[in-house]
Amino acid sequence: MALFPIISNFERDFVLLLLPVDDQNTMDEVAAAAAHHSVGRRVAPQPNKVIRVRRQGAGEFFPRDQRLSETGVRPMEALEFIFADA
Amino acid sequence: MALLERHEWYDIARSTNWTPTYVSEDQLFPEVMTGAQGVPVEKWEVYDEPYKVSYPEYVRIQREKDAGAYSVKAALERSRIYENADPGWRSILKAHYGAIALGEYAAMSAEARMCRFGRAPGMRNMATFGMMDENRHAQIQLYFPHEYAPKDRQFDWAHKAYHTNEWAAIAARHAFDDLFMARSATEIAVMLTFAFETGFTNMQFLGLAADAAEAGDFTFASLISSIQTDESRHAQIGGPALQVLISNGRKAEAQKLVDIAIARAWRIFCILTGPSMDYNTPLEHRKQSFKEFMQEWIVGQFERSLIDLGLDLPWYWDKMIAEFDYQHHAYQMGLWFWRPTLWWNPAAGVTPECRAWLEEKYPGWNASFGQAWDVITDNLLNGRPELTAPETLPIVCNMSQIPICAIPGDGWNVKDYPLEYEGRLYHFNSEIDRWIFEQDPQRYRDHMTLVDRFLAGKIQPPDLMGALAYMSLQPGEMGDDAHGYAWVEAFRKAPPLAAE
Repeated sequence: MALFPIISNFERDFVLLLLPVDDQNTMDEVAAAAAHHSVGRRVAPQPNKVIRVRRQGAGEFFPRDQRLSETGVRPMEALEFIFADA
Repeated sequence: MALLERHEWYDIARSTNWTPTYVSEDQLFPEVMTGAQGVPVEKWEVYDEPYKVSYPEYVRIQREKDAGAYSVKAALERSRIYENADPGWRSILKAHYGAIALGEYAAMSAEARMCRFGRAPGMRNMATFGMMDENRHAQIQLYFPHEYAPKDRQFDWAHKAYHTNEWAAIAARHAFDDLFMARSATEIAVMLTFAFETGFTNMQFLGLAADAAEAGDFTFASLISSIQTDESRHAQIGGPALQVLISNGRKAEAQKLVDIAIARAWRIFCILTGPSMDYNTPLEHRKQSFKEFMQEWIVGQFERSLIDLGLDLPWYWDKMIAEFDYQHHAYQMGLWFWRPTLWWNPAAGVTPECRAWLEEKYPGWNASFGQAWDVITDNLLNGRPELTAPETLPIVCNMSQIPICAIPGDGWNVKDYPLEYEGRLYHFNSEIDRWIFEQDPQRYRDHMTLVDRFLAGKIQPPDLMGALAYMSLQPGEMGDDAHGYAWVEAFRKAPPLAAE
């Protein structure tokens, strides 16, 4: 368990945000934390979609149950949060 | 006794170079302070200032200018222009004074450095007047808002802003330290007077004076006109300095200074002037959009100045012009959303009529920025104002010190421009900001953005209230919506335009 700051770049939002999460969080948990600061604030909800996480510019998403500590993501790296089909 | 005409004595009187005998030339004019780039002194002596004025002429004109501005202020003190002005206009005044007044004082120090270390006598002469200009600008722009401080303590930030760690004040200090406080005399001539003043402030002040007159604030209009006429004179210090550098084989060095300075000036004007023109200025008083203003003055006018001097357009020119379409809209959204972190009350500027104007001036605005404003508007309409308040920090650019942001909604193009240097990960708003860092990493590497300071534990408690205290924002000073959210009511009758 360790505090792990990352940068949230949320699809359809206008700004990069500081997102303090835990290195044991799964990608779904990280995505939920990112959504808290964007969806319903400046980004309209998309109820039929899930939010997937990827490195900036990457084609592939991280597995939804993968823990942050297992991804090789560095503190303060920018991650993209993308609406995707469930 | 008959007096000589100015042109009969001017060249002799300002030939003030001499041959030092007690110290060496290098001790008297160290390269680190002159920034002469190895161009010998005799080459600098061809510098011919385009605007000649004698000291008695200067004093007489400045006295008239001061008398004019102070007379208008005195005459209109009881006119209730301030009380009757749109709150958005009052916000422009607060943002302007806080961001500019003490910056003028800093500019006075920079002009003083040119007075002492300029290699050309003509440069030193012009900078002497420039130094006095900037001192006057600092004083007059502190005195005028002082009248309003008892009515609204946000006006106290005219003097307070630069003494705080408020994020916009950090951004202004970072840019001005880089452009002219921590630069040599030659660099100041190029970066402050040519790039910043000729390119941006001179034109900005012309526009601002016209806007003030249009808004009925003749006190501010006369103040700004009084300053602008000084700017148009001392901004000409840089042109001849560039000619000396270019004609002595230093074009590449000169070009780099110009490119860095224009990029930094653009960021400051984008966040200060863009939202002022397109959002805070009441719709009925808008003459042209910020984009039209930039196209006319920067692309139409300043571009020609660069080419006439023998310089190239900066490598990023097209990228900067592309930003005219969106960057200030993103800054406006950031200013409004993080409004408690400001010393002024930003106007949202998104009534149905304003949005129609924005869509006309910036086709596609409704599908991009409009969609984000739809969510904000919906929250305010439906009793969820807490969702329009910040809960975390935006990531701040390691160059501009302004949040990294771009287009939301359709056309989403927000992106981090990272750089790893000596094991530290830096973040930038664009290729342009990152390029500036790469030109001199040692100059910039140790600065900590507000977010860096937060992560280093310098902001306690580590939450929004701790951040506001760190920024010295007291109750009664923190920004809120300029119109008390009254603009939202129009949407109870009409659906948001983006939904159509």
